[in-house]
Amino acid sequence: MQAYTEKMREIARRLLKECRVETVIGFRKGSMPMMNEPCLVKSIDDVDQLVWDGNCGINLANYLTNRTDKIAVFAKGCDSRNIVTHIIENKIKREQLVIIGVPCKGMIDKRRIRSMAPGEITEVVEDGENVRVRGADFEKSFPRKDMLQSNCAVCIHRNPVIYDELVADLVPEQQNVDRYEDVRAIEAMSPDERWQFFEDLLAPCIRCYACRNACPLCYCPTCFVDESAPQWVGKSQNPVDVRTFHFLRAYHCAGRCTDCGSCERACPMGINMRMFTKKLEKEALDQWGWEAGLSLDQRPPLDWYRPDDPQDFIK
Amino acid sequence: MGVEPGRVHFSWISSAESTKFVDVVKKVTEAVRAVGPNEKYVKKELKVA
Amino acid sequence: MAQWEPKIVAFLCNWCSYAAADLAGVSRMEYPPNVRVIRIPCTGRMSPKFVLAALREGADGVWVSG
Repeated sequence: MQAYTEKMREIARRLLKECRVETVIGFRKGSMPMMNEPCLVKSIDDVDQLVWDGNCGINLANYLTNRTDKIAVFAKGCDSRNIVTHIIENKIKREQLVIIGVPCKGMIDKRRIRSMAPGEITEVVEDGENVRVRGADFEKSFPRKDMLQSNCAVCIHRNPVIYDELVADLVPEQQNVDRYEDVRAIEAMSPDERWQFFEDLLAPCIRCYACRNACPLCYCPTCFVDESAPQWVGKSQNPVDVRTFHFLRAYHCAGRCTDCGSCERACPMGINMRMFTKKLEKEALDQWGWEAGLSLDQRPPLDWYRPDDPQDFIK
Repeated sequence: MGVEPGRVHFSWISSAESTKFVDVVKKVTEAVRAVGPNEKYVKKELKVA
Repeated sequence: MAQWEPKIVAFLCNWCSYAAADLAGVSRMEYPPNVRVIRIPCTGRMSPKFVLAALREGADGVWVSG
């Protein structure tokens, strides 16, 4: 990871020096372990803030929406797919961007690490295949591959799909992963079981909208949850309102979601709302063979009509 | 998400197909009747004692 | 209370199904009185919001027709 960081600073310094970009969007160390925060570097003096490790799970495409300056952005596989989606949806122009590809080995799941540590964690260091966790009176080591975020564990697009530069050689993609095991389990349930499943899943939701704010797809000027005439969804924690919010949010991401895991990562209550978006992702794959953000030349299935579009649901 | 199939229907009827319209109305009504009343998704007002 | 009757909200396209409903009325055809029709300018106006809003407000069924 140190090599990544070094290379990143070198590239950022060069781009800023040559005035090819005005801003570099990357990560810097947060004030707590495993909490890296996005940062916008505008001057060469600040380049040394940039870091990279397994805690850079936030999707940087989120910070590109409607920007007008020239930007260099670091992009993991999922970030790059969301950047493609942004370009397709006219939220940023390709010419404005220098995309610095970061071949990704998966991001680590801070919640899992926290739950396995016996006390408060003061330091987390990744060294090769292991993650070393240190606290005031303990030190533990876990294999990195068991500590990945759940979406990273089933990711098959670890390498960026578009990039102008790379910080390292491309990594091998994961083979033979079963991406939709959990979705199939839900599909097999009866309507009542499914209702109960989502009732339990969403019970802790406090409607903070962190999932919406972290999501690179949620850039509407006015979100439907903030509309009041008509009011599509109530503001309360009434279970029906909570469900309506999550369901509609997921629908807005249909055919656009890249399963980057930002929503789940941002959730303070640890709700796995990817259960909704993943179902729609699977549906887009099954119905149209579509995976979001892989190509700049193809229109997404939901704003495109083809005579052979599936229509069995229409009587 | 747990809304029963049979509660939501989609169809395509041209403006001249009044017979098909009547047909589909009957079918939809029957299907919804078979599923029963919608109790889960209705937002219930809090009752103040 | 009398026997339960389903309440169905129908979203009909102005140019297709709404016209078909009109024709059915003009032709004095009989059909079940359970549907409450909402005319939309085109099925393209439809949104998942509408379906959920109808269900939340107590509809037993929703029918979208183009």
